[in-house]
Amino acid sequence: MASVKLTNVKKIYDNNVVAVHDFNLDIKDKEFVVFVGPSGCGKSTTLRMVAGLEEISEGTVEIDGQVVNDLQPKDRNIAMVFQNYALYPHMTVYDNIAFSLRLQKLPEDVIYSKVTNAAEILGITDYLMRKPRALSGGQRQRVAIGRAMVRDSKVFLMDEPLSNLDAKLRNQMRAEIILLRQKLNTTFIYVTHDQTEAMTLGDRIVIMKDGFIQQVGTPAEVFETPTNLFVAEFIGAPKMNIVHTQLVKENGKYFVTPCGAKIEVTGEKGELLAEKNIAAGEVLLGVRPEHMLLAFEPKADAMAARLEVNEMMGSELHLHVYTEDGARWIVRVPTIDLTAEQRKSLVNGAQLYITFEGKVMHFFDPKTEKNLLY
Amino acid sequence: METKSMKQHMGIRAANTISNTIIHVLLIIISVIWLIPFVCIVLQSLRVESTWQVGYIIPQKWGLDNYRNLLNTNFPKWYLNTLITALVTAALQTIIVLCMSYTLSRFRFKLRKPLMKFMLILGLFPGMLTMIILYRVLKDLGLTQANAVPGLILVYIASSGMGYYVSKGFFDTIPKSLDEAARIDGATRAQVLVKIILPLAGSIVIYTLLTAFMGPWGDYVFASYISFGNSSGMNVAVGMYNWLTPDQINNNYTMFCAGGVVVAIPVVILFMCLQKYYVEGVTGGAVKG
Repeated sequence: MASVKLTNVKKIYDNNVVAVHDFNLDIKDKEFVVFVGPSGCGKSTTLRMVAGLEEISEGTVEIDGQVVNDLQPKDRNIAMVFQNYALYPHMTVYDNIAFSLRLQKLPEDVIYSKVTNAAEILGITDYLMRKPRALSGGQRQRVAIGRAMVRDSKVFLMDEPLSNLDAKLRNQMRAEIILLRQKLNTTFIYVTHDQTEAMTLGDRIVIMKDGFIQQVGTPAEVFETPTNLFVAEFIGAPKMNIVHTQLVKENGKYFVTPCGAKIEVTGEKGELLAEKNIAAGEVLLGVRPEHMLLAFEPKADAMAARLEVNEMMGSELHLHVYTEDGARWIVRVPTIDLTAEQRKSLVNGAQLYITFEGKVMHFFDPKTEKNLLY
Repeated sequence: METKSMKQHMGIRAANTISNTIIHVLLIIISVIWLIPFVCIVLQSLRVESTWQVGYIIPQKWGLDNYRNLLNTNFPKWYLNTLITALVTAALQTIIVLCMSYTLSRFRFKLRKPLMKFMLILGLFPGMLTMIILYRVLKDLGLTQANAVPGLILVYIASSGMGYYVSKGFFDTIPKSLDEAARIDGATRAQVLVKIILPLAGSIVIYTLLTAFMGPWGDYVFASYISFGNSSGMNVAVGMYNWLTPDQINNNYTMFCAGGVVVAIPVVILFMCLQKYYVEGVTGGAVKG
C-alpha cells in the first residue's frame, strides 16, 4: 500500500525516439489508475519505468515517498502481471506462485499457506500441481495474478492482463479484477488499450497519445468533459460523431447548423458558451451516438440521411448513416424503441432523419482540437 | 466412379511403398559404409594371433590381450591427461559460453553489436595461426611438456566466449518477459539465469557441454606441440600416434586399435545418455499458446 508519484518522467530510447514526454502524475494510496491509449502511446513504457524494467531517462518516480529511479525491480516492492502471463514453464503452478517467496527464503509452511490461500481466492486450487502448458488461457492468467498477489507488495502493476483472452472470458476476468482489488486493497496501475476496461476498472483514467498525457480524470469526467478531440473519440463506443459545422450566434443564443438543420444549444452547454463568450464560426461538433435521435418522417431540425450499414448488436442497433453533405454519423438506437415494421425498413439506402438534443453537444476548436468549453 | 478412385488410391499407395523402400535401402547402405571402419577397429583390437596389420578382418584367435597390454604402457597416464583436460575444459567453457550468450541475448550495452561482429571476424581466422605465439607464452609460464595439461586447458577455454552463437540464438527464443517476471519476483540477474533460463535451455546446456568436451577429447594438433615429445604430458591422440611410426607399427597396431576403442567408449556413453535431452522442448506454455 503506497502512493506513487511520477514527476517530469521522460523516456528517450537509444535511437532518440521519445516514447514518453514529461509525464506527471500523483497516484494516491489504494487508488486504481488506468493508463489507456492506442498502441505506441507510451503507456506500457511508463508502467515499465515504474516497475524498473525500463530506465528512466529524465524525471523521478517515487514509491511511498522514496525515489526509486536507481533501484532494481526486486527492491521496489512491486508486483506485476504481464500480458503474455510470463509463467515459468518448467515449474508447476505451485512453484510459480511460490517462486518469489522462496527467493525471500520464507519457511516452507508460510509459503504453503500463502500459496494455497491465493489459489483459493483465484479458484485454481485444483491445478496447483500442473505445469502452465496444461492450463487454459484464463487459468494461466489467474496463476499470473496469484504470483503477483502472494508478494503483498506496495503497488500492483498490470500490463494489458486481459488482452490475450477471448471476449467472454475477458468480461468475466474484468469483474474478478474488481473483486480482487477489493480484497487486496492496494495501489493498482493498470495498462490497457481497451476503453471499456479503463472505464469499468479505474478510479482515475490517464489517457495517453504519442507519449503525451491527454487527460487525467475519473471515468465520468473523461466521458462527459473530454479535454480534446482525441479523448472524445477514444472514450465511448461506438465513438463520438464529429462533424465540421458553423456555430451561429443570434440574440445571445447559440445554434449549430449541420447539413441544413438548425439546432439550438441548450442547457449547461449553452450557458457555458455564453459565459465564455465563444465567437461564432466554424467548430467541430461532437455528439455521442447514444444521444442521436432517429425519425422515420421529416421533422424540423432533423437532417435527411441515408442508411449505409445496420449493425444489430442485440439490445441495440448501430446505424451508420450519411447526410447529404457527405458527413457520416453513427446512431445508437435501443432495439426495443422500434416497432417490428420500423426494424424491417432499416435496409441499406433507407431514408432516415436524424437529430439530437441541444444539451448533448461537445465543441472543439478545428485547429487546436481542444474542447472549447473545458 | 468408385472403382476408379479406388484404383487411383491403390496406385498412390504402391508408389509410396516403392519410394519408401528405395529410401530405406539407400539409408541402410550408407550406414553400413559408415559403420565398417568402426567394426574393423573393434575386430582388430580383439585379434591376438599377430600384432601387425593383416589382410583379413575376422580374427583367427580372439582375446583381450591388447587391452591388457595397454596397461603396461603410458596409455593410462595419457587417458587420465585427456580426461582431466576435457572435463575441466567442458565445465569452464560451458560456464563461459552460457554467461556470454545470456549477456549478449539480454543486456543492451553500447558495444554489444561491435563486440559480436568483432568476435565473428576473429572466429574466421584459423586457430592454428596462434600456435607459435601460444607455445612461446605457455613455455614462459612453464606450462608445456610435462605440465601440458593446465596449459592445454588454458588454450581451449581462452577463446570459448566466441562460441556463443548457438546458445545465444536459443536464449533469444525464450521470452524476455520471463526474465522480467523473475526480476520483479526478487531474482538477481544470476538467479534469473540459473533458475529460469538454464532449466528451460537444458538441451542447449548439454549441447554446449558435449561440444566443449569433444574438442579436447579428440584434439591432436595443439596437444602435440604443447606436450612436445614429453610422454607424461601427452594426451591419448598424441601418445597413440607415436605407436604408428614405421619402426613401431608392427608391434603396436592391434594395441592401437584397442586404445581407439577405449577412447571411443566415454563418448558413446555420453551421447547415448544425453541424446534424449536434445529433443526435449520445454518452452511450451510459457506464453500464450
